[in-house]
Amino acid sequence: MYRQKYLFLLPGLLVLVAIILFPLLFTIRVSFSSWDVYNPGLNWIGGENYGRLWEDARYWQALGRLTLLSVTTVLIQYVLGFALALMVWRDLAARRLFRVLFLIPMMTTPVVMSVLWRTIFHESLGPLNPILESLGIGAAPWLSSAGWAFAAVVMVEVWQWTPFMFLLLLAGLLSLPNEPYLAAKIDGAGPVRTFFSVTFPMLGAISVGAILIRLIEASKIMETVYVLTSGGPGTSTETSSYYIYIRGMRDFQIGYSAALSLTYLIIMIVALTVIAKLLVRALVKDAA
Amino acid sequence: MLKITDLELLVGSVAHLAAINASFQPGTLTTILGRTGAGKTTLMRAIAGLIAPDRGQILLDGTGWTRLPPWKRPVAMVTQQFINYPHLNVRDNVAFPLVRAGVAKADAAARAEAALARVGLAAMVDRRPSALSGGQQQRVAIARALVKKAPVLLLDEPFVNLDYNLREAFRKDLVDLLAVETGTVVLYASTDPREALQMGDQIVLLADGRIVQSGSPRDVFANPASLTAASVVNDPPINPIPFHQNGVADFGALGQQAITLPSGAYTLGLRASDIRAGGPHQARVTLTEVTGSETLTHLSLNGLDLVMQEKSVVLRSPGDVVGVHLDLHKGLVFGADGQRAGV
Amino acid sequence: MKTLYLALKYLAIALWSAFVVFPFLWALTTSFKSANGVTGGATWIPWVQYEPSLQGWQSLFGGVGGINVVKPFYNSLVVTLSASVISITLGTLAAYALSRFTFRFLWMRNSDITFFFISQRIMPPIVLAIPFFLMLRSLGLLDSLPGLILVYVALLMPIAVWVMVDFFNGVPRGLDEMAWMDGCNPIITFWRVILPNALPGLVVAGMFCIIFGWNDFFFAFTLTFTETQLLPVAIVSLNSSVTPWWSLSAAALVSIAPLVVLAFVVERFLSKGGLAGAVR
Repeated sequence: MYRQKYLFLLPGLLVLVAIILFPLLFTIRVSFSSWDVYNPGLNWIGGENYGRLWEDARYWQALGRLTLLSVTTVLIQYVLGFALALMVWRDLAARRLFRVLFLIPMMTTPVVMSVLWRTIFHESLGPLNPILESLGIGAAPWLSSAGWAFAAVVMVEVWQWTPFMFLLLLAGLLSLPNEPYLAAKIDGAGPVRTFFSVTFPMLGAISVGAILIRLIEASKIMETVYVLTSGGPGTSTETSSYYIYIRGMRDFQIGYSAALSLTYLIIMIVALTVIAKLLVRALVKDAA
Repeated sequence: MLKITDLELLVGSVAHLAAINASFQPGTLTTILGRTGAGKTTLMRAIAGLIAPDRGQILLDGTGWTRLPPWKRPVAMVTQQFINYPHLNVRDNVAFPLVRAGVAKADAAARAEAALARVGLAAMVDRRPSALSGGQQQRVAIARALVKKAPVLLLDEPFVNLDYNLREAFRKDLVDLLAVETGTVVLYASTDPREALQMGDQIVLLADGRIVQSGSPRDVFANPASLTAASVVNDPPINPIPFHQNGVADFGALGQQAITLPSGAYTLGLRASDIRAGGPHQARVTLTEVTGSETLTHLSLNGLDLVMQEKSVVLRSPGDVVGVHLDLHKGLVFGADGQRAGV
Repeated sequence: MKTLYLALKYLAIALWSAFVVFPFLWALTTSFKSANGVTGGATWIPWVQYEPSLQGWQSLFGGVGGINVVKPFYNSLVVTLSASVISITLGTLAAYALSRFTFRFLWMRNSDITFFFISQRIMPPIVLAIPFFLMLRSLGLLDSLPGLILVYVALLMPIAVWVMVDFFNGVPRGLDEMAWMDGCNPIITFWRVILPNALPGLVVAGMFCIIFGWNDFFFAFTLTFTETQLLPVAIVSLNSSVTPWWSLSAAALVSIAPLVVLAFVVERFLSKGGLAGAVR
């Protein structure tokens, strides 16, 4: 009866399908070709690119590094975001001030902040090493040694995105009912037990949501890496996206990078689906 | 005349409406009486075109409505929720359907103000609905429904979300408002039999998506055709007392008129108001409800659960024993199939 | 015990606040330095530790050794706003349809279609970058504002659909139905009744679209060269050569400022409660 409904849905749907779906289908086709700088064009070489990918240690290392990086940063963001949310939750006096202050990092352009962070990490002219020295920790070779460069990327990601966890968890905390807390008080539960038996379980669903969104975003990390370390030193901070970028946009091996990116997309979707299921089972009380 | 034939509406395989046949005259108010879930709202939404029936016809003065979308049907509806347009002030809310129908702005505003004056909101025309009380919001909705002068007016339990006192007052006002709408078919959905007795020219009893009985309110109340009809039309529901009749016997002592029953299983329906305190049967109180100036006492008598209705406030506690009198001769006898027996 | 807990709590909040503010303060102080101020090591206090200079800020308008940010700023503004308006328009219409009517395309129902829209956010930019590059090249839209707007629409529409489906699901259907019975077909209902009441949702959708549009770097970087640089690309391009930290810091602050202002504006709007409660 409501034929007009298509007038509402179709413009948006068709635009999105045209902009996303065609390129994606095209990528699938390209991944079976040897399109590169010398032979641009759609020939058919079967699964050769996929065979090459299988042997490409640098690709799998990047994937492993990406996994480590995403899991580490998201876990730190979650713990810190939760702690911050708990701290300003009932602190009514200054709540609005801290709310805005703590949210600002996630509003800033990641790549621009990375450029600033790069000056901060500068070993001789940046402000970070002098501070560490005055604290007695000593200067660190931030961007020139593999371990420290990795830590630098983690630190920037934590600075940028902990606010996101903070925002979602604070919203969750503010919507919690009061009764379970009264009950816990009557039972004589201390703050620690109250947290683990009341607060944490009730934020299960929102935690899963927040962690998943962040994992999805983290699995795409490349801008921070590009600006801070360019994947270096060596390939020690290279993530999947960045490696594919090098193969595709720098070496212009279009066919091969198409195979790389499709494999990456599929692995990501499978991994995130599995993680989502596991997280729901572990953190959401009502789930079967 | 609004005529409905063979209307059927399925949700999955469950019939939410089945075999609905009815016609409604202009200038009459018909109460659609039924319990929650009986299909009252579904019927009204089908008439308004908000849901499509699977079978059947809806006709107004011979014009088929079944294929018309809601915006082409001349209906007005007031729902249980107080729905107004939040972005418009009260005057523009009521003028909205007129403006949509092509009435000039100034004229529409004047008619809206007149309609609002009739519902007692002349002073509120410049406010937003959110600045009004629930009762006032519903008055705005009623004014908007009336101002359209639609030939079909659907009122779906419009006062159910209001306070008890407010509800009584609104009902009286509504009867006055509708008295001048002589060309309008008015359907009023309700769960409350007293409301139906008070308001309706006609009554349609709905249970499980089917019409179980229709007619004048007095008639339906006095002579319910089935046990289902009897329990819908009585509040509290009629007390079913099962009994078994061996051999053909004259049962004249029970009903107002003499009836003869073949042997078999029967149910005697006894209204709660036909049970009185002060009698030979010793019953145990299980629950007491006081509503307004009435008392409903739930009793257990020889394993039988009964409800007694008294027109006064009587305080009893569960466990008390009360001697009761049952006016069995006022009871209605229903056969094993649930239909009235021996009439 | 209680005081110790409070002390630790305030210490933690203070430490985190310092961490949050740290890069901004550093950028602010650096933006007033000259070459001498930068090479003199990490200093914070002007006049005392270094001689302040306006060189960095002047270079934003084409000074020596910096970048002119006026054109990239304008480009970023045009792309972000156009793409946001288009995405929100198309996304709001689609979200309204998905929230109110039932659809069946093959095996797909409303929830599947909604998921199709939203799931585009999962797509890593790199997967789309190369086909986008080839697509825009064949359309002759590489390194142009229309090309970027087209790509950003795909980027932002999922966000608009996500926010608006959620919003419309919270608006009672009774409102639409009342409008229908008052003689409005679905299009007029949307225009006259739903849209005027959708402001809070549109503000949130707009905020998200602007954040993600303004902050995107990767597509702007891969799909433009020199003609239509967006602000983040212009700033990153400073990063590669011998870095003039003063220009870099000033430009970074300029690029971040609009969204920080937006954060305050939106916080004010949302804390006023928008139109919540107007619809029962």
